Amino acid sequence: MKKLGILALILSFAVITQRCDSALDINTDPLVATSADPNTVLPAVTVTYEARRTSELGTRIMDVSQHFGACFNSPKTGGGTSQTLTGNTWDVFYTDCLGNLSLLETDSRAAGDVRNNVTAVALIMKSLIFWDLTSIYEFIPYTEALNGQEFPSPAFDDQETVLKGIVDDLDEAIGLIGNIPSSGVFDISQSDVIYQGNMGNWEKFANTLKLRILMMIRNKDAAYADARIPALLNGDDLIETNAEAARFRYFTSPGNQNAFFTIVTAFFGPDNESTQVHGPGPVLTQMLEDSGDPRLGLFFTDLSGTGTYPLPAAGIGGFPSATETVIANSIIRSDYPSIWALPAEVEFYRAEAILKGIAGVNGDAATAYENGVQLALEYWGQDIDGVQRTLTDAQITAYVSSLGAPTLADVYDQQYLESFMRPILSWNTVRRNNAPTLAVVPGSNIAGGIIKRFNYSNDEISANPNTPANPPIDQNMWFEP
Amino acid sequence: MKRKLLLGFMAFVCATFTVSAQRIVSGKVSSSDDGSTIPGVNVVLKGTTTGTTTDLDGNYRLSVPEEGGTLVFSFIGLVAQEIEIGSRSVLDVSMDSDVQQLSEVVVTALGIERESRDIGYAISAVDGEELVKSRETNIVNSLQGKVTGVSITQSSGNLGGSTKILVRGVTSLTSGRNNPLWVVDGVPIYDSNTNTSREGQETRITGQRDFGNGAAALNPDDIESINVLKGAAATSLYGSRAAAGVIVVTTKRGKAGAGGKPTITVNSSVRFDQVFKAPDLQYKYGGGDFYRPDSSLWGTGWGPRIVGQTVTDPISKERVPLRAYEDNWKDFYETGKTFINNVSVQDASERGDYRLSLTSLNQTGILPNSELNRITAAFNAGFKHNDFIKSRFSVQYVNTDNTGVGAGGANDQNIVNWLDFGPSLDVNAMKPWKDESGNQINNPDPLSNNIFWVRNENASDRKDDRFIGSYQVDLTPFQGFTVSGRVGLDWNYDRRFLENSVGTITRLQGNFDIDNIQRRQINVDVIASYTTNINQDISLSVLGGYNYNSRVFTREQLFSNQLVIPELFAPGNASVNTPNRDFNERRLFGLYGQANISYKDYLTLTLSARNDWSSTLPLDNNSYFYPAVSTAFVFTDAFNISNNILSYGKFRASWAQVGNDTNPYQTLFSYDPLTISQGQYSLNLTYPYGNQGVLGFRAAPEIPNAELRPEEQTSIELGTELSFFNGNIGVDVTYFKTNNKDQILQAAIPESTGFGFRFVNAGEIENEGIEFALNFRLANGPVKWNSTVNFSHVESTVVSLFEGTDELQIASGFTSVAVKAVPGKEYQLFAIPVLRDTITGRPIVQASDGTRVAGEQKAFGTVLPDFTMGFVNNFSWKGLSLSFTIDWRQGGLISARTVEDLVNQGMTEETLQNREGTFIDRAALVDKGDGVLVQNDIPLRSSKDFWQSLDDNGIGEHSIFEATFVKLREVAISYQLPKSIVDNTPFQAVQFGIEGRNLALLYSKVPHIDPEVNLFGSGVDGFGIEQSNVPSTRSYGFNLKLTF
Repeated sequence: MKKLGILALILSFAVITQRCDSALDINTDPLVATSADPNTVLPAVTVTYEARRTSELGTRIMDVSQHFGACFNSPKTGGGTSQTLTGNTWDVFYTDCLGNLSLLETDSRAAGDVRNNVTAVALIMKSLIFWDLTSIYEFIPYTEALNGQEFPSPAFDDQETVLKGIVDDLDEAIGLIGNIPSSGVFDISQSDVIYQGNMGNWEKFANTLKLRILMMIRNKDAAYADARIPALLNGDDLIETNAEAARFRYFTSPGNQNAFFTIVTAFFGPDNESTQVHGPGPVLTQMLEDSGDPRLGLFFTDLSGTGTYPLPAAGIGGFPSATETVIANSIIRSDYPSIWALPAEVEFYRAEAILKGIAGVNGDAATAYENGVQLALEYWGQDIDGVQRTLTDAQITAYVSSLGAPTLADVYDQQYLESFMRPILSWNTVRRNNAPTLAVVPGSNIAGGIIKRFNYSNDEISANPNTPANPPIDQNMWFEP
Repeated sequence: MKRKLLLGFMAFVCATFTVSAQRIVSGKVSSSDDGSTIPGVNVVLKGTTTGTTTDLDGNYRLSVPEEGGTLVFSFIGLVAQEIEIGSRSVLDVSMDSDVQQLSEVVVTALGIERESRDIGYAISAVDGEELVKSRETNIVNSLQGKVTGVSITQSSGNLGGSTKILVRGVTSLTSGRNNPLWVVDGVPIYDSNTNTSREGQETRITGQRDFGNGAAALNPDDIESINVLKGAAATSLYGSRAAAGVIVVTTKRGKAGAGGKPTITVNSSVRFDQVFKAPDLQYKYGGGDFYRPDSSLWGTGWGPRIVGQTVTDPISKERVPLRAYEDNWKDFYETGKTFINNVSVQDASERGDYRLSLTSLNQTGILPNSELNRITAAFNAGFKHNDFIKSRFSVQYVNTDNTGVGAGGANDQNIVNWLDFGPSLDVNAMKPWKDESGNQINNPDPLSNNIFWVRNENASDRKDDRFIGSYQVDLTPFQGFTVSGRVGLDWNYDRRFLENSVGTITRLQGNFDIDNIQRRQINVDVIASYTTNINQDISLSVLGGYNYNSRVFTREQLFSNQLVIPELFAPGNASVNTPNRDFNERRLFGLYGQANISYKDYLTLTLSARNDWSSTLPLDNNSYFYPAVSTAFVFTDAFNISNNILSYGKFRASWAQVGNDTNPYQTLFSYDPLTISQGQYSLNLTYPYGNQGVLGFRAAPEIPNAELRPEEQTSIELGTELSFFNGNIGVDVTYFKTNNKDQILQAAIPESTGFGFRFVNAGEIENEGIEFALNFRLANGPVKWNSTVNFSHVESTVVSLFEGTDELQIASGFTSVAVKAVPGKEYQLFAIPVLRDTITGRPIVQASDGTRVAGEQKAFGTVLPDFTMGFVNNFSWKGLSLSFTIDWRQGGLISARTVEDLVNQGMTEETLQNREGTFIDRAALVDKGDGVLVQNDIPLRSSKDFWQSLDDNGIGEHSIFEATFVKLREVAISYQLPKSIVDNTPFQAVQFGIEGRNLALLYSKVPHIDPEVNLFGSGVDGFGIEQSNVPSTRSYGFNLKLTF
């Protein structure tokens, strides 16, 4: 009886605890996948990039280029750059975006030519994000980045290496696009939220991005840039029409809305005009007013009703009042698209190249300049997704025809206007052209009133012994004149 | 406890007593604590060998000489008494607990009871009575100051908040793996502190809600004893989970009542909680900027000197005289009230015992609208069916309803902190906080919420059901051999609900988060043990066992944004619903064995070994073996040198290894299906995205490792226990050294590699320390005094990290402040310092504006204390007793962000210096461009510029303080009515008392706040970082205990 009791006890517990060997084979997370289709990775990268680009960089640093009068936690307040802003940007761009693009690229290369489209898109997006990163931090891991096996502590490259490397990457992407087979190509028409798989448009965006970067390089290595710019400008592979614009679309449906809008509705009220959250900077406003540019009425709303577009006194934290000027609700709206590149930018580069005498660039500066303005006005007044405030053809024509022969300063002004609502491009435009002259904000302890770079992420500093010391945040970058 | 002691004690009592009867003295021995009778008490006629022991009902009969004599009553854990017999024939005795005396029989690993003298390692035991002297809602706090080798930090004054406990310092480089294992009646339980932050953010610095640690569910009224097992030799039988120590909880069992009746005990406490420490705030300058009133900056102290000038009130918008509202925080923080009522029924006989207990805890906090209601039902019953089989069933069910939990950290609209009480702010004017239509009103400025609105309209709630149960069967086929089977279950259903009502600034459209967590742990042990005496001198006991442990964690979350109907928290009422699921499961099998060989009862050698197989390790490398050896040598017995001065002396030594596994799912690469892409301020984008409804998969940011090996902990321990003057003075000293190497780390790697982390076997921490306990007791007639001093010093040195890394971030705040592991040092607090002159150490300011220049981030010192001390005292005189505990922490740094912010906003008294006119930082030097540092004479515009620039460029130095403190932790005064009075009542015993906790901060080096706080809760190792914690509280109240 006793033996039976003991046996029963042991057996009963043994039954509860199952067999050891098979019971331990459970170390696979049932809620994750071990591999992923490019059609899921590509959207994740694009949306994640945008979630950071518009909400973190967009709503927070538009006052660095003084497109906005004030921003939340702008890096220029408090005398330094926000650790959160700089850390989040570094983390998301390198791991969630570039890391995944690198995996996507590796897998697609291994799959052969039928995935050249995926590889090309991955390369182009990597180029865009590396351009963002070097524009924000200057020295960044590039040549040794995204290869932890070989380079566990990636070295930081100087900006010249990064920018020229991106140009090479874009050339490779363009080459891949040219080598897409006629059949059996991997279908990304649903997952490509930028161009719906239209690789011709991706090629144009790649070339446009390349042109933008060459114009940056040109400040320091004109020979390198000038050897490449004419072929780009004379060819027909740049973004030429607003229909080809590279932009990320937002939607009216909650959860898919533009962060410039959601920050208003979450924090303040139903819209920007009634809550006066986003207000324009004085230089931008003055430029539009002085030139009679019809974009003044597209971009802004004068709450004073006087047509004088009054602004708050310059200063850190200067949000407009209910009787001053704000960014229009037609801009700060849920489905306002995030612009990556417009054809107007190309035309202004063309005008600049001609005015600067880059040999071999066809056309004339005035035409390019007018085309640029025309395209810009058409975009903001007609072609932008979900356009609300419009310009008629007659209004556009009237303004464009009023323009005189442009000077370089005029082109710089147009480039400044053209980069509206694009945090990195507008910042780069000011730094590259050293124009327009921005206001020195009272109380700012940054020389010149404009920061030139972010500090490095503390996480990278901790983990990577190759991280250089932070230069002063008002120290020029390599590409600046 | 006493019954258990009896059982152990009786098993070892061999003495027999010679009887030479002349007359009979009889009586009953009972406990002065609760009136229960005590079986097994030694009753000896002094100076003779004549004696007996009390029976199960506490009765004794003894033949004594006709002329009388002195009876000596003694029992383990109780203060011995000597009583003159005189002419009495009936002599009833009430015996007092010997507080803090290490029990003679202690609970070791797997619930095995062993004689203290046989144990070769240190165990700290706390009697259950100590835990209810001044009851805590979180039992961990009750241990403060009472146990050597542990460091205990309460996170905040949040109702139901967590408390961090470390046993012998930091052992793991992985944050959150330094918490000890809790074991209740032989069953491992969860002590989790799962984070819930706003909208599912994983960070603990963004609106962190500290919903408590799992062990907080244990009810002090139901606990018989707590034993803290510290070294690897003590814990190794528990297996790999015990690397950070084990806290063994034994719940109360039924005891025999007087007269064969069950004992009913009612124990009630009423307590009041108030803010423990308020900052030294200034009320001379009002809200505004540069000495001008500014209604949008009313929360600051940078406005004008308050002289009654007319200003626009930011709330009423009326023109009113400017005035100070001193201590306006008192109009917000309330006096918390706690009611703890416990009823227990218990009885026992030779066949069985039972105890049923019901406890109701009802607490309101200092934060308005915060409540903690907890009901605990506990049942413990054992039955001896016959000599062959006995069984025991123990269950605890805990229902917790915690509402209005405060938010901490930053970037959350629900945080209320000291910055909300600007010197000229009329807090009462913020009431009411909503109009008849439910809209928020009377908020101090358009960008800030009314603090009463967020407290009363926004939910931050937790409902939790917890079931901890075990069933054990012991079979004894023959004397000395027992087979025991024990199955235990810890099941927890934890539901959290966070809500921002429509109209909450920063979440105007309203949102709610649902976070449902289930944890289930099943633990099975089958143990066979055999004890025998090989010969007269040598005894042997061996055991072998099998363990199965399974843990499943399931989490389902829903984040719903933009509500149509304000108070309808249904997914269909939200414009955006984002779900999230989480799941992990782990299993572990273990085989273990232990052998104790004892020679003449003074020399004991214990050998133990265990092999575990863990599901979290690679299948082909999931087995790991670890041995332990310990010895105990009672040299006073061996050499027969016990005398009136040295009563008892024991030396102990141990060496042990413990292996350890890791968390699930670290060996395979994975892609996570995303439901959101996170944006700033939680303005997230959701999937499926856009008109095309695309989905997103992202590679996990951690590089897996399919070749992980078990971690390895090696520990040595030496110690001695000495007792002097018949046990009136006791000394216990322990030296230990532990090396934890080959740790499985989620090592941060450069994000520029495309990944944030990789799992590696690397790194080592060495803990070396000393523990010292001095016990003192004095009995002079009715006056009794017990005193214990506990001292613990441990150095947790990081020996190495992993290749290519010279520092590892453990936790970080919003600024440059971070806790990091650095080889050769204890955990360090890093921050950006002020740039200083290398010769004089004086700060350097910028010539352009006179503000201090930032240096490069550096280590300021360790966040871990140099030592901790507790001073526990118990006095009693007849029925009156007084006890108090003083707690001393020496050293360790804290970054007090609250102090930094208060200074930044001109709200503290030190910011009154040089308020008006320009301000020159005279402590500083300046380089005016010639490379020479000279006395600074660069004026700032005002003192505001000085104070506000102190944290410019990420400088964190000015928020760092040494967290040394001395606290009067606990005071309890109680009075037990004399038996002569009680005998005329329906009660067996009546006791009432006054109790208080956290009564005074006797010494502190941290200005303005309680130095004993931790932003991150117990779930991670973010020691030393504070930010907007709910203020800690001081408690005082009354207690009434009735025994029927």
